Amino acid sequence: MEFDFQHCIRCTICVANCPVSRVNPEFPGPKQAGPDAERFRSDDETSIDKWIRLCNQCKRCEVACPYGVNPAEIILREQVRYGGKHFRPLASRVFANNYWLGAVSSVIAPVVNSLSPMKFIKRLLNVFGISTYLPFPRFHVHTLSRSWRWKGRRRSQKKVVFFYGCFLNYNRPDLGRNIRDFLASLGLRVIMPGQVCCGLPALGNGDIETARKFARKNARILAGYIDRGYDVIYSCTSCGLALTQDYPGILDVPDGKKVSENSYNLHEYVLKLMEEHYIEPVFESFHRKVAYHIPCHLRALGIGYPAAKLFEKIPGLETHILEDNCCGLSGSYGFKRSNEETAVKLGIIAGHAIKDVDPDMLVSDCGACRMQLAHFSGISAVDPSEILIKSLKRETQ
Amino acid sequence: MSGTYDVVIIGGGMSGMMAAIALTDMGRKIAVVSRGDPVCCLSTGCIDVLANGNDPLEGIGSLPDNHPYHLVGKDAVKASLEMFKAVMSEEGGAYVGDAHANRRILTPLGRHKVTCLVPGTMEFADFHSDEYIHVISFNKMKDFYPNYITSNYKNAGCSIFDAGISTTIGIAERFENRQFLEGFISWLKGLDIPEGRIAIPAVLGMHFAVDVCNEISVELGRNVFEIPTLPPSMPGLRLFGALKNALLKRGVDLYWGKEIYSVEKSGSQIEAVTLAGAGRSARVQGNAFILATGSFVSGGLHASMDTARETVFDLPVYLPGKRKSWFNDDFFAPGHAIEKSGICVDQSFRPVDTEIDNLFVCGSILAFSEVMKYSCGHGIAIATGVAAANVCGEPV
Repeated sequence: MEFDFQHCIRCTICVANCPVSRVNPEFPGPKQAGPDAERFRSDDETSIDKWIRLCNQCKRCEVACPYGVNPAEIILREQVRYGGKHFRPLASRVFANNYWLGAVSSVIAPVVNSLSPMKFIKRLLNVFGISTYLPFPRFHVHTLSRSWRWKGRRRSQKKVVFFYGCFLNYNRPDLGRNIRDFLASLGLRVIMPGQVCCGLPALGNGDIETARKFARKNARILAGYIDRGYDVIYSCTSCGLALTQDYPGILDVPDGKKVSENSYNLHEYVLKLMEEHYIEPVFESFHRKVAYHIPCHLRALGIGYPAAKLFEKIPGLETHILEDNCCGLSGSYGFKRSNEETAVKLGIIAGHAIKDVDPDMLVSDCGACRMQLAHFSGISAVDPSEILIKSLKRETQ
Repeated sequence: MSGTYDVVIIGGGMSGMMAAIALTDMGRKIAVVSRGDPVCCLSTGCIDVLANGNDPLEGIGSLPDNHPYHLVGKDAVKASLEMFKAVMSEEGGAYVGDAHANRRILTPLGRHKVTCLVPGTMEFADFHSDEYIHVISFNKMKDFYPNYITSNYKNAGCSIFDAGISTTIGIAERFENRQFLEGFISWLKGLDIPEGRIAIPAVLGMHFAVDVCNEISVELGRNVFEIPTLPPSMPGLRLFGALKNALLKRGVDLYWGKEIYSVEKSGSQIEAVTLAGAGRSARVQGNAFILATGSFVSGGLHASMDTARETVFDLPVYLPGKRKSWFNDDFFAPGHAIEKSGICVDQSFRPVDTEIDNLFVCGSILAFSEVMKYSCGHGIAIATGVAAANVCGEPV
């Protein structure tokens, strides 16, 4: 990826797009934190910009910048440098390893699910710097990694690997299994091989070594399948961003480029199958008015809004696209006490925008966005694939 | 195929967005590809049509024969501006002004600037120098100096409000809050401002500034108007936000934040563009293409020592001779020759001297538009954007 802060002409378009600096004056915005400050940074000097951690890596600045500067990436590299030299708070260490957190929590899911709403547990978490304004997601014993890993005819013309990501694995395995079955119903051979966290949470918490460890392992597994003619499908937009941008980019893992070039967003892939006439689905009507909150990382992928394109084909479905707000939770960002105020303020703004549409339901590709926005809008949230699966239920190939 | 757009518009600025609106209103399926947010975000939000004379539309007659306004024609320019006003009203950011009459706004340097259509918040910015002007600013707000403005007028005063935050966007964000607005109004009432007009830097909210401005006017019984600021410029951001919203409502697909990496051609037809990405990236396929990438500042043209190239299709670029003839000796004198450079098109907005016939060009990338010299940037963008859309949207 091109990485040149000198292309910045200081036009402030990035600042206008930054959700954090909009509500938190402590953060000077992507222009100052990124290209401006970069001129004064050197590998020989210790990173001292404490506020660098206030960036939530939504990448809105990168999508907005008309001059090809990537402020969020400049900031990310500095966050990593800062994280390597300074004491990282406990909350950051915990969330960097959310894969293990999920693994443990799912084994003892009933215990975790009954403990997490308790007041004294919440207070304890607060002491450790973890915020509790949102109810914690529920964990499940029967995770995706413990589900049936193959589906679809072995001799199918097209074969895909489903990279489901931690959220589906630990918190929504039911949806993960539905997506697996749905893909198989399109005439695909689906495999869900053993896989670990994409690495984005570790990277966002300043721990590049852990991120790289995860990435290396995933890339090895996925590349093995790609060599055997499989395409990779992801449904979590943040996992997708890690696979396509960070594996060959900042993490620079072996086979990163191969993974990047062969990974598809779920809806993008369905559209591709339709374009190739591999499937000719009949969309059943679904009479609802939905507010579609576009996750920041879907914008950052630069693939347009494929789910919205599929929604256009569903009779009766009225879609309102909302793409100007960041939900504020940003993965584990809002779960840290230090960011709670920012996350809540942004959640309220995005929640208002949704309520203004007055939808029957809220749609978003990102699990974190859904948790945050269902909370602040009071409207139940679904993944776009849930609507798609419903509409294509009787699809047979 | 399900993935082919009727028209793919390259460039998400004023011209491209207006073309997209015109085409979707004709029932076409459109995608807009943009490498980032457009420079209209940095603008005053005002629509300059032509600064020479009182009637910009009549002024078109006196422009050189090769100026792109002549390709559109006076009546069509007027119609496109009306269309723009209608879209902006729909989006809650109504513009005022008449395409037949220039008007003035107040700049942060305290001088008046000639323009044509203005956001509703600047309706009262054109005042007589004998009138009393009261300028409001905000504590620690950067790049806005009320004394600088008032020093230009015999009859002027200023006051400073503490918004608790000093950035343009931060203050605008607070004006969306009812309580903050009411606090601001009651502070204004307590100032005992003499009879006259009140000028406020353009921070009156992110989306509904016209309503905020009207409310302050009504509460104080004075004409209130906004002064555009240095970027981040709220009126420019509101303009972009409103047009983008209009596109989304019309079902236009947006591909944002990535540059075009490759172009697929087959004979005289462009078939698709592929966007640059870390790995495999989106391929956008269309029956026709509109190029609205703007001039040098927007990146549609790129200059090197003695040449300039068009950055997407490598179209032939008109240049006014060698580099030494590009600039006037006096930097501030209007009309540097380099401004003439751009793409030459025929009557149907197709680029000349190419074999491609499903490509149309509009906006400030057009040769001889000289938007700085004639002060016609947004006007050219809107007029040629709609005109190119009309040609390319015609049934074959």
